[in-house]
Amino acid sequence: MGFGFDEIHGPISGPPETDSNSFTALLELPPPQAVELLIKEDFPAKPMPPPIFPSNIALIDRASKFSIYASPDNSPDSTAILPASSSMKLDLVKQEPLESDSHPNSSSPAVSNQSSKSGKRKEREKKVKESNKKSKKVAANEASELSGEKLPYVHVRARRGQATDSHSLAERARREKINARMKLLQELVPGCNKISGTAMVLDEIINHVQALQRQVEFLSMRLAAVNPRIDFNLDAVFAAESGSSIDNSYLGMFDPSIWPEGQINGSRQQLYQQPLHFDGLHQPSWGREDDTSNFISPEDSLLSYDSPPNSASLQSSKLKMEL
Amino acid sequence: MCNSTMLKQEFLKKWIKGLHIYNNLNKCITISDRKKAIKLSADVAIASTRKATTHWSKALMDDVVSRDGNNIILVQQILGGGQNAEKNNSGLITCSKRILRKSHNNIIACRKARRRVVPRCVKSSSIARKLVKNKTRMLKSLVPGGQKMDGNCLIKETLDYIVSLRVQVDVMRRLANAAERFDP
Repeated sequence: MGFGFDEIHGPISGPPETDSNSFTALLELPPPQAVELLIKEDFPAKPMPPPIFPSNIALIDRASKFSIYASPDNSPDSTAILPASSSMKLDLVKQEPLESDSHPNSSSPAVSNQSSKSGKRKEREKKVKESNKKSKKVAANEASELSGEKLPYVHVRARRGQATDSHSLAERARREKINARMKLLQELVPGCNKISGTAMVLDEIINHVQALQRQVEFLSMRLAAVNPRIDFNLDAVFAAESGSSIDNSYLGMFDPSIWPEGQINGSRQQLYQQPLHFDGLHQPSWGREDDTSNFISPEDSLLSYDSPPNSASLQSSKLKMEL
Repeated sequence: MCNSTMLKQEFLKKWIKGLHIYNNLNKCITISDRKKAIKLSADVAIASTRKATTHWSKALMDDVVSRDGNNIILVQQILGGGQNAEKNNSGLITCSKRILRKSHNNIIACRKARRRVVPRCVKSSSIARKLVKNKTRMLKSLVPGGQKMDGNCLIKETLDYIVSLRVQVDVMRRLANAAERFDP
């Protein structure tokens, strides 16, 4: 059913998916970024790094290039497009009154009226303009999203042989939204990419969620069985909430009564191992641990937490005292 | 990458804080008590990392609060919101109960109506739709607060929930590994 779409966009260079819908532009991003995007779009209260559309610049360039309607520049592009037999004239003419008020470009109704006077060459140009309008729409969508506003409308183009009344349009927009999100979910859950069909994908998602919940149960059971004294003395940790002082407070936790802290620090080492290289914001107080703790297995990390050897032996002796 | 690390740190901090508070409130002696304490504080901590911006986190908090009145103190301290948290939670509880009651009535009415109609031809599309419906029902039962969500919202919430669950499992696993290595 969507062959009209695909034929037009097949030979166009650049990311084909981004032409259809602003939501499918999310598919270009890796899943965590896309998830962040989704979250940012709906919950602007949460502080997140601004999303980056990798294809945005290309789209805007293309849109600006094509914005010169019926100019000779377009002819080389139009010849590059497949002479698809689908004539979307009717759809176009019907669509324009619906979309003209929401379309940011006011010249588009005039252009489409001109193109409705048929001629094969004009039909080709029209297809170019159609793709222009689509890419323009997407660029407009993305531009407005980047500027921080929430776009209230999703612009959907009617395909050949599909109904064009507002209800089915809204329905189609809704379905496309759901499909885009399902694709994101598919990328997030491992092993879902190869599966086709909503029911199977949902099956995998359900299994994944159940497995994660079961893991939480088992892990809490493991932790409960580990030691009888969940006696964390964390006043030193939470005395000052800022980042740098937390690091210092970890060092200040080494006294005989709080040997379980060693466990937390051990896990902390693992947590910090990878990001220490990438996170340039780390306080200089971590610099000491940097040298010793990177890429060290957990058992070593506990003892080599402090780079000066005498403090390490001191710590281990303190721990032995507790045992 | 940096964001998930921050998330993990935030979760770890809140979890241990909650554990501490819970220990002060209820003495945990048996393993099952401790397990309950650990899981409860972990759930509250991971839900509070979203700061009630998602439905599932709100529903999780409501669940915790409704289970035991003492937990309100725990939730409040972790959220840092004080009285507001409690009011929001109770409001959500009554609101959701009303919606559930209404939807339950609707479901019963639909079932009664459907029993009179006997399907003659079994189309593949209807089978597919039924499958998808069953699966979405199951997913709704898994995601906290899923019953009062429509398809679009459900998928969004599932995305967020899976990410948060992964963070939770990751931090808990690291802590458990470190603890077991230290004291086998």
